[in-house]
Amino acid sequence: MPQLEIVDLKASYGSQKVLEHINLSVEKGEIVSLIGPSGSGKSTLLRVLMGLLPPEQGTVRLDGKSVNYANKAEVRELRSSIAIVFQQYNLFQNMTVLENVMITPTRIKGWPKAQVEADAIRLLTRVGLAHRLKAYPDELSGGQQQRVAIARALALKPEVLLLDEVTAALDPELVTEVLDTIRELASEGITMFIVSHEMSFVREVSSKVVFMADGLVVESGSPQQIFDNPQEPRARDFVGKILRH
Amino acid sequence: MTLNFQPLLEQWPYLLGGAWISLQIAVLAFAFGMLIGLLCAAVLRYGPRFARRIVSAYVIFATNTPQLVQIYFLFFALPEVGVTLSPFTAVLIGATFNAGAYLCEIQRAGFDSVRQMEIEAAEVLGFSTPQIIRHVILPHVLKVMFPPLSNQFIVMTLGTSMASIFGVEELTGRTYNLSSQTYLSVEAFSIAAVLYIAITLIATLVLASAGRYLFRAKIKAF
Ligand SMILES: Nc1ncnc2c1ncn2[C@@H]1O[C@H](COP(=O)(O)OP(=O)(O)OP(=O)(O)O)[C@@H](O)[C@H]1O
Ligand SMILES: [Mg+2]
Repeated sequence: MPQLEIVDLKASYGSQKVLEHINLSVEKGEIVSLIGPSGSGKSTLLRVLMGLLPPEQGTVRLDGKSVNYANKAEVRELRSSIAIVFQQYNLFQNMTVLENVMITPTRIKGWPKAQVEADAIRLLTRVGLAHRLKAYPDELSGGQQQRVAIARALALKPEVLLLDEVTAALDPELVTEVLDTIRELASEGITMFIVSHEMSFVREVSSKVVFMADGLVVESGSPQQIFDNPQEPRARDFVGKILRH
Repeated sequence: MTLNFQPLLEQWPYLLGGAWISLQIAVLAFAFGMLIGLLCAAVLRYGPRFARRIVSAYVIFATNTPQLVQIYFLFFALPEVGVTLSPFTAVLIGATFNAGAYLCEIQRAGFDSVRQMEIEAAEVLGFSTPQIIRHVILPHVLKVMFPPLSNQFIVMTLGTSMASIFGVEELTGRTYNLSSQTYLSVEAFSIAAVLYIAITLIATLVLASAGRYLFRAKIKAF
């Protein structure tokens, strides 16, 4: 049984259709990368999965159980199984690094504090920030903040992690540290959706690459297939362009 | 000129009592003003157009006329419509009326400064709306508002000296009484000045350290 299954999904912003006929099936531990031109609907797909934009049609199944996005409580519950990190590392500015990671499990989930704290420190160690536990976000670099955001997203032990251009707002010299963190997570078996413009990285970590254009999945397959031997003209065009850069 | 503090210092319970009344006016006007301000800020943000107009007019009027004029107005206008108030109550209402407008502006600016992105982050972490208010919005807003609120409180504390004009025997009023009884005016008002400085100094220090402790607000005490 696939861990996450998207069946004939459709979504719109008002009257503008943004996603249509999206079908995707993801096994546990797979790293799926979404690529495609700007405006093709990559972010929107992640937002729909998170319940930030209700789908107009179609089904999302997590561990075989279909998600009812109209039910607020169910959506809140879903958000401990699926976590997302955005381009803009929007940490809680009035909380320390450690508090940012601990607040959801302790205050929202009511998990025991001692256990949560030990987990949070372990997570922050993994993203290389064990020495900045007491720092506030405005005292950190963009790359460090983004790594805290990743740790915060992982604090509820989600099954699926969605990363939307998490390095796009970073200075080039800080990109590597964040990619290293993601690479390490990828090797630990968490299922991930990655939207990224770092193509060599995408190629290296992905088990599946999905090329989107105009709200449709145009082509999907292994990184080798999509980057070396794309079948669809639009995919070939896109890959040709970015690889020439 | 020789100064003679002795007869005045013997009256310290009387003067301290006056300072206590000053502080009461300031604290009460501040507390009621906060409530009015919060209500007005909410109306400005979410209210219907008509209500927003009224609140705007109130804020413009209250922040652009002298507080003394406002209190005089209440003092003379209220008895005309059959409401008789003690000087203390009249002054308190006047000070609250004035403070409400300033505190409305401060609170509105505070709520406007909430980062939409943090709210979305909390949402995708599974926070409910009350949890977002409790853990994200309020701490931020309190922190942002803390310095201007402290400032406003100090200004209001000093402004309470106006109450003496209306016969409220607060610090300035009692100092005036002593000065006319003893003819030691310079000494009397020096003592009052020192007491006012002590009150604002203590209030500033308490507020600044509370702010630092509670909200990590970077407040310069002086
Ligand atoms: N909040 C919104 N309201 C209305 N339309 C939107 C909104 N967000 C996105 N869109 C539209 O939806 C379409 C898909 O946008 P989306 O952000 O999903 O693209 P994307 O693939 O993530 O692009 P990018 O690579 O630039 O991030 C675009 O046409 C965009 O203009
Ligand atoms: Mg996007």
